[in-house]
Amino acid sequence: MSVELVTVTIDDREIQAPKGQGMVETAASAGIEIPVFCYEPRLGAPVGACRMCLCEVEGMPKLQAACTLTAQDGMVLKTAQTSKQAAEGQDAVLEFILLNHPLDCPDCDKGGECPLQDLTFRYGPGKTRMQFPKRTFDKPIPISPLIALDRERCILCYRCTRFSENVAEDGQLVAVNRGAQSIIATFEDEPYRAPFSGNVLELCPVGALTSTTYRFRARPWEIQNVPTVCGMCPSGCNVWATTREGKVARILSRNHPEVHEGWTCDKGRFTYDHLRAPDRITAPLVRVRRRGFEESSYDAALDAAEAGLREAGSSVVVAFSGGETVEQAKALTRIVREACGSEMALLPEEWDPGLEAFRSPLSAIRDAEVCLVLGDQPVLERSPIVDLWLRSARRAGAEVIQVNPAGDVQAAPGSAAQVAASLREGDVPTELKATGKRLRSAKRIALIWSDDDPSGGRHVGALANDLHENGKADVSVYVLPRTPNGRGVPAAWYEAGEGRSEPPEEGEIGALIVSGDEAAYDPRVAELAGRARFVLTTAMFQSDLTAWSHVVVPGTSYLERDGTMVNLEGRKQRLRRAVIPAGLDELEFLSRLGERFGLDIAAWAAPTAEELADLPPGDEFAWSSPDPQAPTGKAAGPGLDLVRVRSLFSGAGVERIPQLQFQRPAPEIELAFDDAESRGIAPGETVRVLSNGTSRDLRARLNRKLRVGVARVADEHAAGFEDRVQVEKIGA
Amino acid sequence: MSALYDQIRTVASEYPESRSAVLPALRLAQAEHGGWLPPEAFREVAEALELTPAYCHAVASFYDMFHLEPVGKHMVEVCTNVSCALVGAQQVVEAFERELGVEAGGTTVDGEVTLRTVECYGGCGWGTVVSVDHRYREPVRPEDVPAIVRELRHAD
Amino acid sequence: MPIRELLLQGADERDLTKREEYEAAGGYKSLRKALGMERQAVLDELLAANVRGRGGAGFPMGRKASFLPKPEDTPKPIYLVVNADESEPGTFKDREIMLRVPHLFIEGVITAAYTIGSGTAFIYVRGEYLTEFEVLKAALEEAREAGYVGKDVLGSGFDLTIVVHRGAGAYICGEETGLLESLEGKRGQPRTKPPFPAISGLYASPTLINNVETLATVPKILEMGGAKYAALGVENSAGTRVFSLSGNVARGGNYELELGTTLRELIYDLGGGIPDGRELKAIIPGGSSVPVLNATEVDTPLDFDSMAQAGSMLGSGAVIVIDDRCCMVQLGLRVAQFYMHESCGKCTPCREGTRWMVQLLRKIEDGEATQGELDVLLDVCDRILGNCLCPLGDAAAMPVASYVAKFREEYQRHIDEGACPFGGESSLEGVLAPVDQHHAHLRGQIEVPTHA
Repeated sequence: MSVELVTVTIDDREIQAPKGQGMVETAASAGIEIPVFCYEPRLGAPVGACRMCLCEVEGMPKLQAACTLTAQDGMVLKTAQTSKQAAEGQDAVLEFILLNHPLDCPDCDKGGECPLQDLTFRYGPGKTRMQFPKRTFDKPIPISPLIALDRERCILCYRCTRFSENVAEDGQLVAVNRGAQSIIATFEDEPYRAPFSGNVLELCPVGALTSTTYRFRARPWEIQNVPTVCGMCPSGCNVWATTREGKVARILSRNHPEVHEGWTCDKGRFTYDHLRAPDRITAPLVRVRRRGFEESSYDAALDAAEAGLREAGSSVVVAFSGGETVEQAKALTRIVREACGSEMALLPEEWDPGLEAFRSPLSAIRDAEVCLVLGDQPVLERSPIVDLWLRSARRAGAEVIQVNPAGDVQAAPGSAAQVAASLREGDVPTELKATGKRLRSAKRIALIWSDDDPSGGRHVGALANDLHENGKADVSVYVLPRTPNGRGVPAAWYEAGEGRSEPPEEGEIGALIVSGDEAAYDPRVAELAGRARFVLTTAMFQSDLTAWSHVVVPGTSYLERDGTMVNLEGRKQRLRRAVIPAGLDELEFLSRLGERFGLDIAAWAAPTAEELADLPPGDEFAWSSPDPQAPTGKAAGPGLDLVRVRSLFSGAGVERIPQLQFQRPAPEIELAFDDAESRGIAPGETVRVLSNGTSRDLRARLNRKLRVGVARVADEHAAGFEDRVQVEKIGA
Repeated sequence: MSALYDQIRTVASEYPESRSAVLPALRLAQAEHGGWLPPEAFREVAEALELTPAYCHAVASFYDMFHLEPVGKHMVEVCTNVSCALVGAQQVVEAFERELGVEAGGTTVDGEVTLRTVECYGGCGWGTVVSVDHRYREPVRPEDVPAIVRELRHAD
Repeated sequence: MPIRELLLQGADERDLTKREEYEAAGGYKSLRKALGMERQAVLDELLAANVRGRGGAGFPMGRKASFLPKPEDTPKPIYLVVNADESEPGTFKDREIMLRVPHLFIEGVITAAYTIGSGTAFIYVRGEYLTEFEVLKAALEEAREAGYVGKDVLGSGFDLTIVVHRGAGAYICGEETGLLESLEGKRGQPRTKPPFPAISGLYASPTLINNVETLATVPKILEMGGAKYAALGVENSAGTRVFSLSGNVARGGNYELELGTTLRELIYDLGGGIPDGRELKAIIPGGSSVPVLNATEVDTPLDFDSMAQAGSMLGSGAVIVIDDRCCMVQLGLRVAQFYMHESCGKCTPCREGTRWMVQLLRKIEDGEATQGELDVLLDVCDRILGNCLCPLGDAAAMPVASYVAKFREEYQRHIDEGACPFGGESSLEGVLAPVDQHHAHLRGQIEVPTHA
């Protein structure tokens, strides 16, 4: 695609620029600054509100907001540097902005990294002519447990509200009232509860929105920003970990335009104080008979681990978390395969190398004509960034079709694989006819799989292959893993050898290696631990499972590791250690453990990511068409099919951040309108949910889009429930 | 579903995009809630138009005809913009204040009448313009005020 | 007599809100004529008529319509949006048109929609105009019944839906892009231009936005022929306008006049002059946003060019007459209060500047301002002018700056004497502006003087 170049003149300099490029960027490309406050291209079309960018444009009588102009051939623009009129305009705007802005820079968190401070320093009037009392407000107002709002500092650039409305589309942070009385607010002072709320902190060009977890914690000149990659979900957002005195003080987004456009979810942004949680395991623990655990040295822990594994022979099972770096996973794989001679592993996901053929950057979702989302798990809960990309695709005119129990096309729970197969075979039920037709006519398609069904990759891959071969479409496939490195960990396992076997269904096993807190939460792992003669666990925190263990080694957070992560699109990215853990990190421990078995495992991640072997190219992969399993619908009756949703805001880290608790799923059950109505249940009413002898009272949330006969409950409120639940009105 | 929900859906169907029905929907909700918009009203409108309550509140707060606080059963609005002010609007305001026993911007203690001053209502040639329950009276002079107030007091 | 009734013709004699009466007076003939013409031919008549927009900006209507893509050249629907959100202080002409000749207006809407190939027209009526809305709805229903609106208008194959939409009380929605935002269900904050509505307007589709009076002239233009219409009035200001006369004048009201009629003819011959034996002090000739004229300028003709020469504007055709009892500082304060109240809050100079103007003007009126603060006031006006997103900021700054310029000595006396020279006797004394009224829901964010 060739881009037409045009010549514009800015401050008497001729500049070549792509036609239609924003003038702020065009000027910047020539090293000319046009100051802005409201302008932020990621928020959609420019609004020209703050007027800071006023410039003189030849042929136009009035000053123009440069942010709203694009490069056109022959355009002659003068900034405040060369135009007296523009300088006066800019000076006027800055005077107006500062009119009611408090000069509390010394105790403002933004001080030192504040665009208003910087631009005032560079262009400001130097003195004020404002003789009247400044506007005052109650402050700060907690618009959520995470964000404090200082309305006096707010300059009403509307960046935050535009983010809420146009990017996250959560519609929660708004401007109310009119004119000089306008303020930023949430509805009825309810908390701004939305997965991307924290982005407004970075968008705010003044200190009006500040983070409650960072407030008054550091000055900008005392901090170090370490570039790393978020390890909280498989999206792989690039971030800065801000550290002060060896502690992580905040997480900022670091824009990678192909991955996340600089947005980051609240889980990634605010989960770091758990590194210093009181129940963090900081030294190895070794079980001592009758005395419980004892803190020990690493040598003693290594002795105990070596002894336990040697005694187990080849009856060793490893359970991965999916949060390990590739290096960690490979080290563990080698110990199990090479030292113990076992192939028994619980992997966080299945992963199909053939999908490499349909690999695209996440940003390709935005450019698709049709995005098809299959699976029962809401995309937002698995990869919030994919949800944002889907919204941006829809805004760009794409048709986004979600097929699930609450989707644009309603499908039965567990039917995603069937849907994929029927779309491929062209033999679709009525409700999917339009979708099928649309897929066949589109030239750019994004297929997204968001389900626990491990065969998903194959089904969606087969569909992609067919659309590509027969429909001549460009197809991108995104299989959303459950875990942050859900794509890298299985790759690491298979890279070291072909086979994998499941642990025996019953009977004793020699040893179980539990890698990380997420594995420790897995009920399957708990069951295995009960049968294991020896359990070696790596974990950051105490849990039920650590109590089953014989040796517990302190685990680390991604913020404390170097290594490689593979995000859901298959992009290898580099973690950089932001802070140093109290003890050895996992890789170093595994290296020493390997040494006991004569294995040479590097204790440090290689400085580049090249070490991760290439994966088999897609064209060598023959697409099989597995028979989709029919959804296991139970006998008809008064019950509802339960879909358990694994919430984004869950896990060991989130549980330890007090300010994040409000983001965790409420004790609710989502019901279809008709199902609620037939039971006489009103929205918000507490209902009794019964299943398998478990009874729990949950609040009813009515969803007009949810399929009749289906109920959805967040995983953490669904413990003990089977696939079918009875929902009763209390007192009925 | 509620009658309000159905009414809003009907109005929304007149527009290519249902969001366009926010103003009519808020107007319906305001009528339903006794002349003002309590938080519940925003939740109802939001539900019917698939918006958020915050969005609906943001829109309502932009427009003078939506009331975010309770108002009286009757509404008296006196224009005090230039044309009316030149011919004595302030005297009309004060006559209403005396007659109703309430300051402009407030509601009588019995909750019957809200009095407020407003910007130009477009009856400038026949000032002072007073809108009583959304019907214009023009011109109104201070001496007309007692009769208007009597009429309101006996309206129900 | 300078009265030249074109739009309001016959409205005194018969009830033109009734379709039969309107038809009996020759109504809907222009529409039939237009439907028999090519779209371009209708547009050519409008271009020939050289009719300028009656809303305030005075942009030639035909040219505006010609900026739209032809229906066959765009995949998007084309919309006609009628600006019936009349709210410029002093203006009440569109109201009269809707109340008294609604069918003429509707006929204009249908004809304009046909001309640009629009299948859906929206009439955005200011929310406070409840009776007008009802009259319009009833007339529209009659038009629908008679087949003027709806599917296959008069058998022409042209389909038209007209939606009457009520505003909810925001002056800024009279600004065309603010109106579009409002019509889309948003806060009525103006959009930056380009893109212009002709290319990307309502729902990002090509949109023509015209004022009520402008559209009501369309049937008359087709009836007379564009050239003949253009011969009415004076150069650059063709046709008639409905002028709204108000303030200190004996007979306020709407007067339809040929453009070029003088202010004196309107104020004295038709309006009966200044009552109560007072003297003419000043005239606001085009709605409260335009610069003021003083008594010596009363012979200025009411047309675009003459008003521009006099340093003011024809604006919305609202003539506000001010007699010698009015304090010009109080006038400035009241006008600034209005624009502060109506500022949408989107762009900085207008939002902050209008508020600052009010603070300064109040201080001057209270006799507490320094000489320097009068200069600051002028400077604030100057710094708002030309720097805002939409014309509202200018609408506040221009008139106030003109009051100071033309009545400088009166402003000076407030500073020199430390008090208002009218000593409480000004006609605007103590007038309670909504912006100073206590609104509980605004939670006291602006300084609210207690009004005892």
